[in-house]
Amino acid sequence: MGEMLAVPGGTFLQGSPSWLLDWLDEQDQPLPRQWFGDETPPVSRTLAPYRIGRYLVTVEEFGDFVRKTGHRTDAEEAGFGMVYGEDGWEERTGACWQAPGGAGTDTSGYHDHPVVHVSYRDASAYAEWAGKRLPTESEWEFAARGPQFRIWPWGDSWHTDNANTAEYHAGSLSSLQGWKQWWSETCRQDGPMPRTSPVGAFSAHGDSAFGCADMGGNVYEWTSTLSALYAEDAVCDPTVRTAVGRYRVIRGGSWMNFRYQIRCSERMHGDPTGWSSFAHGFRCADDG
Amino acid sequence: MVKIILPAGWTEGRRAEFDGTEGLLPDVIRQFAADNPAYRHRLLGPNDQPLTYVNICVNDELIPRYLRDSTVVQPDNTITVIAPMAGG
Repeated sequence: MGEMLAVPGGTFLQGSPSWLLDWLDEQDQPLPRQWFGDETPPVSRTLAPYRIGRYLVTVEEFGDFVRKTGHRTDAEEAGFGMVYGEDGWEERTGACWQAPGGAGTDTSGYHDHPVVHVSYRDASAYAEWAGKRLPTESEWEFAARGPQFRIWPWGDSWHTDNANTAEYHAGSLSSLQGWKQWWSETCRQDGPMPRTSPVGAFSAHGDSAFGCADMGGNVYEWTSTLSALYAEDAVCDPTVRTAVGRYRVIRGGSWMNFRYQIRCSERMHGDPTGWSSFAHGFRCADDG
Repeated sequence: MVKIILPAGWTEGRRAEFDGTEGLLPDVIRQFAADNPAYRHRLLGPNDQPLTYVNICVNDELIPRYLRDSTVVQPDNTITVIAPMAGG
């Protein structure tokens, strides 16, 4: 844990080529093309050498930070955290990093899992305490795929056993209805606990181009980058356009997602004003 | 007529723009949810109030949560609903 990998600087085309959106259109997945439009067009980015966490920050590591600083997370301050229950997202009383499924749950057996219920502020505070920072979006994508485009951190062929996704738990999924059926059954059996996995559990077969673990799936990852489009005329969801300049970029997808949301070039945008969920975590970076 | 825009991920490829009614913002959202019950759970909590974690813009201006109850939506306004995690 805490291991940092050196990533050489380089220039690469960040984002998805148009053929990738064509490919998404052809796949058995429910989302429209414009939903992925914020990944295009690819833009040239040049990075200086940097280091990035091989692993996501764990419950144990975050606990050490809390014990030494007294930090209270936004979810703890609010008295609730976002949990996806049987009927959808809900503000679940008591849900926080120490009680990821809500009041009455705990992190027994989760010490080596990624910490969840961390807001942008919480993640940034941890990184600063650790003498590090959050990765930028460009650093994250470069660490995931390397200088050449690849769909997933390990390559262009999908392997269910390479990442912690909903498909790893439920088998192949292609519709929201199928996902909801799996999750409802899981909730009824075990409650709404996050289906995270120990960091590095999918190494080395699921590792990224530069050897990072869990860059596809497990938990969504905060980056430090303020949301922006790659081009003003990008055809994308209007609500994403409205998030531009307000949200921070989130990468990597999570255990909640299908294979299409854990791609290296997939972008999400998170409200940085205190919001978090039981599927959101982070890793750190520094300048080396 | 008020225009209401939802995330395309919510509508899964179906239309994401809707007509709404003018009035106080919470009332506009409630009326929209009543007219489009498929989206009710994404917009309103058990208390029938707009969910606090969903952000709402009126004409590209993000409405702070403490101003929602007093915000008046005019007939030519556009309401954009932004999930706390947008895109994906």
